[in-house]
Amino acid sequence: MKKTLQVLTELERDGLLVRYAIGGAMAATFYVEPVLTFGLDVFVILPRAASGLLTLAPLYDALRARGYAEQGGCVNIEGVPVQFLPAHNALLEEALAEARETFYENTPTRVLRAEHLAAIAVQTGRDKDRERVRLLLEHAPLDGEYLRAVLARHNLEARWKQWTS
Amino acid sequence: MEAVDKLRPEIARLIAAKEQRRHKLAALPFPEKVRIVVQLQRMAAPILRARGRPVRVWRLTEFTTDERG
Repeated sequence: MKKTLQVLTELERDGLLVRYAIGGAMAATFYVEPVLTFGLDVFVILPRAASGLLTLAPLYDALRARGYAEQGGCVNIEGVPVQFLPAHNALLEEALAEARETFYENTPTRVLRAEHLAAIAVQTGRDKDRERVRLLLEHAPLDGEYLRAVLARHNLEARWKQWTS
Repeated sequence: MEAVDKLRPEIARLIAAKEQRRHKLAALPFPEKVRIVVQLQRMAAPILRARGRPVRVWRLTEFTTDERG
C-alpha cells in the first residue's frame, strides 16, 4: 500500500494526473471500521490531451512502462489492484479538490472527505452505497453543516432524506 | 417467558460490547485498518474463488513475509 501510494504521488508529480484521492471502500475504511474490498478506487483529475479528450490511455501507458499492467479495468500497482476513476461530474471534482491530506505511515496521500463519500454514495444510489451511508452516519465524524451544503449543491437532498429518515 | 426475560439483559450487553468494538475498530490508525482489510481478504478469498469470483489478496511490502496472502 505504501509503495502503491508512492507511485500515485509520482504520477501526480510527473503530470500524468492533475490530482488524485482515494475513494470507495478504502476511503470509507479510513473513517469507519474496516470493510472488505479487493480493489483500491482512486478518483483522478486527468490532464487534458492535445485533442481535448480526457483519456486514461497516457496514464496506462506510463504505468505499463513502469511494469504495471492494466487488467480488467484495474492496474496492479505493487500488489494492489488500483481502479482509476476519472472525476466525471461536479460532485467528484469538488470531492477531489477538497480531499483530505493525510499520511499512510510516512507516505503522504489524499482521501476523500467523509461528507463527500456519503454524497457520492447517495448519487450512485446502489444498495451497497446505502449501506455505506449507514456506516458513515454511525461511525464517521461527519460535519453536518458541510454535508448539508454538499447535498444541496448537488441536488441530493431528496434521496438523502429518503435514505436516512 | 421468564427465560427470555433473563436473556434480554445478556443480549443487550452483547450488543453493546459489539458496538463498542466497532467504535474501537473505526478509531484505529489507517495502516492498522489496511492490515485488517488484508486479513478479511484472506478469509473471504477462498469462499469467493469457490463461487467463481477470481479475487486476489493484496501483497503489501510493509507487511512481513509470513503475513502475506
